[in-house]
Amino acid sequence: MHVSTTVVTATHAQGLAGLNPLSKIAAVLPAMLFIALTTDAWAPLAIAGLATLTLIVFGRVSLARLFRALAPAMFIVVGFLLLYPLVARRELVAGTPVVAELGGLVIHQGALMLGLTAGLRIFAFVALTMIFNLTTDAHDFARALVQQARLPYRAGYAAMAALRFAPLLRHELSVIRAAHRLRGLGDAGSLRDRLDMFWRTAVPLLASAIRRAERAALAMDGRAFGAYPTRTDLRRVRFTRRDVAFVAGFWLMLALLLIALWQFGLLGPLAFVQRV
Amino acid sequence: MIRVEDLTVRYPGRRQPALSRVTLALRDGETVLLLGPSGCGKSTLALALSGLIPNSLEVDFSGRVLVDGVDTREADVAALSQRVGVVFQDPDAQFVMLDVESELAFGLENLRTPPAEIDRRIDAALSAADLAGRRYDKVWQLSGGQKQRVALAALLAMQPQTLVFDEPTANLDPIGAREVFAQIAALKQAGRHTLVIIEHRLDALMHLVDRVIVMGQQGRIIADGSPRQVFDEHFERLQRLGVWMPQVSALAHRLGVCLTPVTLDEADELLRSRSRSADRLPARKTALASAPPFSSPGSSSDVSPDAPPDSLALCARNLSFRYGQRVALDHVDLRVPRHDFLAIVGANGAGKTTLAGCLAGVLTPPPGAVFVNGVDITSLSAQALARQVGFVFQNPEHQFVTDTVADELRFSLRRSELPGAEIERRVEEMLARFRLAQYADANPFTLSFGEKRRLSVATMLMRDQEILILDEPTFGQDQHTAGELMALLRALHAEGRTIVIVTHDMALVAEHACHVAVMREGRVVWHGPTRRLFAQPDILTQARLDLPPLARLARGLGFNALTIHDFCAVAGGVEREAAPAPTQATH
Repeated sequence: MHVSTTVVTATHAQGLAGLNPLSKIAAVLPAMLFIALTTDAWAPLAIAGLATLTLIVFGRVSLARLFRALAPAMFIVVGFLLLYPLVARRELVAGTPVVAELGGLVIHQGALMLGLTAGLRIFAFVALTMIFNLTTDAHDFARALVQQARLPYRAGYAAMAALRFAPLLRHELSVIRAAHRLRGLGDAGSLRDRLDMFWRTAVPLLASAIRRAERAALAMDGRAFGAYPTRTDLRRVRFTRRDVAFVAGFWLMLALLLIALWQFGLLGPLAFVQRV
Repeated sequence: MIRVEDLTVRYPGRRQPALSRVTLALRDGETVLLLGPSGCGKSTLALALSGLIPNSLEVDFSGRVLVDGVDTREADVAALSQRVGVVFQDPDAQFVMLDVESELAFGLENLRTPPAEIDRRIDAALSAADLAGRRYDKVWQLSGGQKQRVALAALLAMQPQTLVFDEPTANLDPIGAREVFAQIAALKQAGRHTLVIIEHRLDALMHLVDRVIVMGQQGRIIADGSPRQVFDEHFERLQRLGVWMPQVSALAHRLGVCLTPVTLDEADELLRSRSRSADRLPARKTALASAPPFSSPGSSSDVSPDAPPDSLALCARNLSFRYGQRVALDHVDLRVPRHDFLAIVGANGAGKTTLAGCLAGVLTPPPGAVFVNGVDITSLSAQALARQVGFVFQNPEHQFVTDTVADELRFSLRRSELPGAEIERRVEEMLARFRLAQYADANPFTLSFGEKRRLSVATMLMRDQEILILDEPTFGQDQHTAGELMALLRALHAEGRTIVIVTHDMALVAEHACHVAVMREGRVVWHGPTRRLFAQPDILTQARLDLPPLARLARGLGFNALTIHDFCAVAGGVEREAAPAPTQATH
């Protein structure tokens, strides 16, 4: 690996944004795996709490932005809570107390718990990914993948260039749609018309995406992209003491939480030991 | 030193070559302007000079290009990138990274430059491009002019000898363009680089140019020489081809001057000497300066924004519009009387396109904010709106929804109650009027850019719309197709239609618009007659706009003129009285 004389970390950012993107993944990965194994509501709830707290304390993300990011997951929790009494298999919940009866619908506590568990697992998962999503610059991530995870730099930087296209193409799509609406395309509802509309939108969009990609590729080639098998880096994404502290701290908190739950008998059976 | 020897390039799937047997030599330190009608192969030549053709693009390639004696086909990418760099037209398409520093480091990192050296070169390149202090800025936060300078700095950091600029100002507002030209001037002055420039805003550039190369159809070189020589000897031919020329040269040609000036300074000198000899300019000058404000050519009636409300074609009242969090229009008031020819101008991102979109119903404004012929646009059905207002998008391709040119026109009438025979009659009429009859069965996407534009305008007039709104109608066109389109718009205006255009081209505004609405940061900061606007330089500067070249020339000479037409009125009058035989062409 290249050893440079002036080593500068990739970002001057503080909090989670200043960490190596890979360390954020390392920190949350065990928690994600654990959620996949849980079958009870308490562990996901605790992990969701830990993730949310981490975001609030270290994330340097405004509460409004955090709320917007987590709102869909909250919606899912409520949705599952309402949905499960309708769809849960009768024999799974029959033994549990009845909470309410609405007309012919008998709502068992077990059904509500199943819905809550499923919803909370998703919420916890989303909250964990937000530790990465909300605080990571995509370019830093690609850099880290290239510099530390040995991803070939051609792939990493091509992905970075492609990332720039997404908002441009989204804008172009909205312009094409507006142009088509103005011509009167898209006000008919038959399947054929819709297919036609999709096609009429896809052709110009694809043409423009190809043009853009070609231009970007020329601009990159013009600046010696891919000239050598390796390249130097002005800024190294480094693995610092702060990264170690964050990963270790997060793992420790996770372990403490799970042990506490286990002590109080709230951990519930895990998926691989579960017998149904 | 770059030598091009018998170079022919053909893109796969095309019958016509993009370059035909091009032979030329670029001497070190030369500043070369590359001209030609759209589609003539200028950009292809730019890519061939940098070795990107044939190394990065698959083409049929014969002949050779030697950069400092090395054949580009045998040179490696790393070596070429340190000899020739290209600044492309679209600032957003050429960036790889998100911040200025990483963007400048990108090329050097690819060359395996040690970080300490990269650091040093970034500083040097940033100060050379007048971007010191911008090192940690995000690219998307910069203005268009700054973006192009970042693209240039990223090349300068790699220290190439030759820099190729492929329409670097096409996407920029006038002040952004001026920044880029100032940068090119600084490079020229430093004298280290060979500069090759493809551009059509020529008046701000000509004083830097040593040599002009003109390309014709199929990428043949048809003229090569000093600017004066080329514009003098080939004027008619270049005009026929649709090549953009300096406005002062066109002016001189119209006035019948023998030695064509190519820069503003030369024109200034020339006109001064003529006025000295005739000594009649002052009288004319006052006549023009006191000309009524609506005397701009193209103005057929004395429409005024103060007209009573029921004579307004379009009206915005306290109109605000936002995209998510971003405020695009901020309490805009605008009154467009019937039969007006209005230009909406302003810097990139000032809200011009959004305003035009709201006026046309492409975007949905809040109720009670936009009125078409006195009726709230939000209360009109799509059909009713389509009968009154046509909107032409910047990219005509976006509006095509069928597979043939004739169907494209028919489609505009498919929801109308017209009998089939009447629809066919109108289609025929439009095909003829817009000179598209021979392409009636062709796929719209296969037309040339100028033809596509004509078709998109035609589809918007099929229902005899009274109001036509166009977003950047001359963008990316050569002088020929742009002039043709403007003539068409003038004819439509003369028929009594209301025309609204969004544009950056101040010369076009000066020549065609009756009124101008100047936008800045989502507001209309000035609205009035064209002539009055160009008499207020402070408003132009605040809105990041600029005087058109001829107006600047006139100002230097001490009188008010905006167009060639105006100059003919002044200088032509002088001419007539100085020498009885009228020498200049009539309008």
